[in-house]
Amino acid sequence: QVSFSSGSDILIGSYPISVQELLIIDDLLFALLGIEGRYISIKRLCGKEPHLLFQIDPSTDLALQELSQRLFPLCKNFISINDFVESKSHFNTGLVNHAFAASLRTLLLDYQAMVAQLEHQFHLGRLSLQGLWFFCQPMMGSMHALSIVIEKLSANNLSGSGTLNLLQSQAKSMAGDNEVRNLLEKMEQSASSAYLHILERWVYEGIIDDPHNEFFISENKSLQKESLTQDYEAKYWQHRYSLKDSIPNFLISTAGTILTTGKYLNVMRECGHNVQVPISDILKITHAGSNHHYIECIKVAHAFASTELLKLIKEKYCLVGKLRSMKRYLLIDQGDFLVHFMDIAQDELAKRPDEISVEKLQSLLGLALRSTAAAVDPCHEELTCCVERVPLLKRLAMLKKRVIPETGQPAFSFDELHEPVNITGLETFCLSYKVRWPLSLVITRKALTKYQLIFRFLFHCKHVNRQLCVAWQLHQGFRMINIVGTVISGSSILCRNMIKFINSLLHYLTFEVLEPNWHLMHDSLKTAKSIDEVIHHHDLFLDKCLKECLLLSPQLIQKMEKLKLICLQYAVAVQQLIPSMCMPPVDSMFSDSIISFEKEFSNGLQ
Amino acid sequence: HSDLVSTETTVSESVLVRDVLYVAQGIDGSYVKYDVKINGYDLPPDSGSFKVPRATRTMVRRLCELGWLFRMVKDYVSECTERFPTDEVGTVGQAFCAALQDELTEYYKLLAVLESQTSVPIPKGGRDGKAGNYLSLMRLSIWFAEPIVKMRLMALLVDGCRSLRGGALAGAIHGYAQYGDPLVQEFMSRLLRRVCSPLFEIVRTWVLEGELEDVFGELFIIGQPVKAESLWREGYRIQSSMLPSFISEKLAQRILRTGKSINFLRVCCEDNGWADAATEAAAHVGATTRKGGLGYVETDALEAMAVEAAKRIDKHLMEVMYQRYRFKDHCYAIKQYLLLGQGDFVQYLMDIVGPELSQPANTISSFQLAGLLETAIRASNAQYDDRDILDRLHVKMMEHEDGDQGWDVFSLEYNTHVPLDTVFTASVMKRYFRIFNFLWKLKRVEHALIRVWKTMKPNRIISHIFGNDSATMKFQFISVLRRCQVLWNEMNHFIRNFQDYIMFEVLEISWACFLEEMDASKDLDDLLAAHEKYLSSIALKSLLGERSHGIFKTLFLLFDLILRFQSNTDRWFENIYELQPRGNSKFKKSERLKLGSQVYGGGKALMQIAGDILRKMGEDLDSISKEYSSSLKVFISQLPLQHHVDLKFLLFRLNFTEYYSRFPPGKY
Repeated sequence: QVSFSSGSDILIGSYPISVQELLIIDDLLFALLGIEGRYISIKRLCGKEPHLLFQIDPSTDLALQELSQRLFPLCKNFISINDFVESKSHFNTGLVNHAFAASLRTLLLDYQAMVAQLEHQFHLGRLSLQGLWFFCQPMMGSMHALSIVIEKLSANNLSGSGTLNLLQSQAKSMAGDNEVRNLLEKMEQSASSAYLHILERWVYEGIIDDPHNEFFISENKSLQKESLTQDYEAKYWQHRYSLKDSIPNFLISTAGTILTTGKYLNVMRECGHNVQVPISDILKITHAGSNHHYIECIKVAHAFASTELLKLIKEKYCLVGKLRSMKRYLLIDQGDFLVHFMDIAQDELAKRPDEISVEKLQSLLGLALRSTAAAVDPCHEELTCCVERVPLLKRLAMLKKRVIPETGQPAFSFDELHEPVNITGLETFCLSYKVRWPLSLVITRKALTKYQLIFRFLFHCKHVNRQLCVAWQLHQGFRMINIVGTVISGSSILCRNMIKFINSLLHYLTFEVLEPNWHLMHDSLKTAKSIDEVIHHHDLFLDKCLKECLLLSPQLIQKMEKLKLICLQYAVAVQQLIPSMCMPPVDSMFSDSIISFEKEFSNGLQ
Repeated sequence: HSDLVSTETTVSESVLVRDVLYVAQGIDGSYVKYDVKINGYDLPPDSGSFKVPRATRTMVRRLCELGWLFRMVKDYVSECTERFPTDEVGTVGQAFCAALQDELTEYYKLLAVLESQTSVPIPKGGRDGKAGNYLSLMRLSIWFAEPIVKMRLMALLVDGCRSLRGGALAGAIHGYAQYGDPLVQEFMSRLLRRVCSPLFEIVRTWVLEGELEDVFGELFIIGQPVKAESLWREGYRIQSSMLPSFISEKLAQRILRTGKSINFLRVCCEDNGWADAATEAAAHVGATTRKGGLGYVETDALEAMAVEAAKRIDKHLMEVMYQRYRFKDHCYAIKQYLLLGQGDFVQYLMDIVGPELSQPANTISSFQLAGLLETAIRASNAQYDDRDILDRLHVKMMEHEDGDQGWDVFSLEYNTHVPLDTVFTASVMKRYFRIFNFLWKLKRVEHALIRVWKTMKPNRIISHIFGNDSATMKFQFISVLRRCQVLWNEMNHFIRNFQDYIMFEVLEISWACFLEEMDASKDLDDLLAAHEKYLSSIALKSLLGERSHGIFKTLFLLFDLILRFQSNTDRWFENIYELQPRGNSKFKKSERLKLGSQVYGGGKALMQIAGDILRKMGEDLDSISKEYSSSLKVFISQLPLQHHVDLKFLLFRLNFTEYYSRFPPGKY
């Protein structure tokens, strides 16, 4: 037992009961404000959690003791609430806690006013202990409820949305007590007003104005928008702004919308367009109980932001035009440019990849662009070329295993793929396209890589086709001669077979895969309502194309590569052997090789 | 009960209330006094004559916190007021004090009201129970609830901002304003509005009138007296310690530039058109130009004003630069003369100053060179150029040492006046000189090669001198000559291509980019940046950059070799020409048949001399061509190591037939 310390030397028990009552009332009035009196003392027990102990002079009349002890919980609650207000008014406890503390303070002021009123009654001599108890009744319930909330708050050290959620759940769990529920809801409302101000700025301006880190959206400043054009695994769009775990309950349903709204506004701001959602007073976000007005506001802002951004990207940055020009060059839509380029760059491309001068290729590319119909395309300036070190198959395998392709080092671990010893620029050449912000949101590095994969495949097919055509031309030299039964006729049939094969492959790739898919995407882009949809459609298109171009099925693509290799070897052999046909040893060699090629080709085809 | 209470208490509650009210104003009451030991107000301990109950004592202590806080604020305010027109406080500090003082006045008003209520006695035990508006300690605590919050805040601000001033002070107060409490928020925004208004006023006069009315150095912009030519670059700068956090770096830059533009127009261009632009800007924003029109909450308005003013004033400045001071014309003139863009002029100048410059540097008179320059101007199309521009063109002789030739020290100079010297500063002109010297050297080497060709051309006639009788000698001569031609061709190929590259890939392209950027530039900073980019791209691409030091040395080695080749060929052919008259005289003499033996001997001697000359020539040629080809190889091998992509094109251009890549790299 803690020893009782009294403020007075005279025992209260020595007075008559009526005087005792007056003395006790006087003390209780102070105790209600957390001040020790003559006969009532307050002990702060420092245990696991601070605990308050009220004691009354034991010599007091027992009935009076009992009566006054009923009031102690109220005193206790007052002290704890007051402590909370003091501690949470500090700068770094967060805006929500500040607002909450402020509304608590007004409540405490009411309470103090009540006590002062009681004191007035006491001065007038009209207050009995019983009366005191009666007058305190209305406050007791709400003070008790609040002290419970506060206890939980300080136990978990909550702030921001945590505080809001706690207030809301407490209000719900106290639903039976109408008065307390109203009080808690009012508290929540005033606490959330600070929070909603942050929300407003985010939803209407795209700015996170959050000095105490309370908002449920966080910005990762280390992710730069430039990474979109450099890094294959760029996470800018997904992770630049992200939701935190702590979302206020009343916003959970719309959190995604809120996030995208601000994100869109931010993209526009990064483009140098200072866009603000036009707000009128009606659209001021408020949160009042069951009123779902704020959801409407968010929806309006979201609709505005997404249409504005889409308009910006489609009209000012000409998304569709860029996509069309990417299709023109990277998906080999425009023939004259490609044929011309292949004509002039043939010699350079026939070298080994590390011997090729990229500058020379680039200038040849520029030549090809300017001297063909591509010259009228305003977007042709963005086209560049690059030569990679790895053949297509290996590259595909690398992508599949999600190895970062830029480093190149891990490439050596894929030796199980048989590597053609003499790869030339023709196998590794690919075009690239300079994409600028904000279009890099749609055409990311990843998307560009997919385009490039398709391009390389198509380019090589074209190359094989051209070589076979040369071989075919050589065969045409024998038209005047009767070739029936000779090795030439066999060879010419094989050549035609091969040409047919490669032509149908190209036909399939371009007319049955790329074109229809592109048109599908084009149509869906027209109806898209937000940038996320555009990105989704574009990615879908690329994935579908990759899949249907067989690039995602390793067995098929390996077979295809093998067939193309045979075709190529055949074409080279024919080009070497036919001019020197007259010599007898060559003749037999020729027929042998033709037969072997034929066998291999038909095997491969099956 | 009342008796009982009065036995315990020697002082009545109303006296204590009065005391507390005094204390709340920082004055010691009759009982409650400031205690230095505990740094606060307290009642004296209980004694015989003085007794209060414990509860009352606690209550009084609680209430006296206000007095303690008040003292702190009051001290700060009076301390500042004493030092008022000084640097340490500044206008922002004054505004802060004034705002605090206003808050205190409000507080005094409250105290006065309370004071009037103290006269009402506290009712005791049911007697005269009608008077309701008396003051007890408990009632006082309710009255004090709000002031105490404000006072705490003020004390916090005073404590935190004691050592700060100017923009830093405003920034610090802004830092405290991030409160969620509506009461505090309102209070802080009122305070900030007051504190920021002098700051914004300075900004306003700066942006609209170009005056830095900043007596105490409080603004984030500081100026220093400089000469007119460096006004733009060094005259004003941002002082980041004074930049309040609510003004972004970008906005600060914009504000800085706007005022700087006005000052530049006023000081350097002697132009007054900016005033119209400024008023127009102010009218456009709608912020009246009257004083005190901007407050803390109107950061957006400030930004809008800065943006509008910047837009108009920069536009005006650019107009002045382009139209009155003909910036573009001067740039073009520099390109034409210093960067050798005007071909006929350069050719003629080279022709006429060439002989002069071959002299040792200390014997050359710059007056004579100036005369020659004038001649060159008159003889070429340059004469039709604007006189104003031509007057600025001068010959400049650089510092020379012993043994320097005129070639090493000669350069052209272009004078610019205020305000153009903001762009063409001394250091910029120095870089132009470097480029000029390089180009001049290149031109000279080209010139030398042409002269070599001119000397070599008539030698078909010379071959007659050897007649039929010395076929071996003739053969020897022709083979040496052929080697000479081959080497010349090789050098010519290199110089031609290199010069083409410099002219068309470097100078013209950089110039075109510069023109484009010049048109796009919106303010002087952009223009300076564009010019800087122009210069540095020329320097980088023509191997004058820091990184290409090694290759530049090789290039100069090549140039020197070519010049040596030229001087050697001059000497050889001079020798051969000397042979010619002797040979001719020989023929005449042999026809006369007068001194037969002598002639025969003379002929033999002649042959011997010719043989010597040819052998010497062959040897020299060998050494030069060997050195040349090895240097060229080094040069070509160094080219791909350069970072600029255009230099790779130069390689591509020089090595178009892949003649030079027959040698595997890294063999030399």
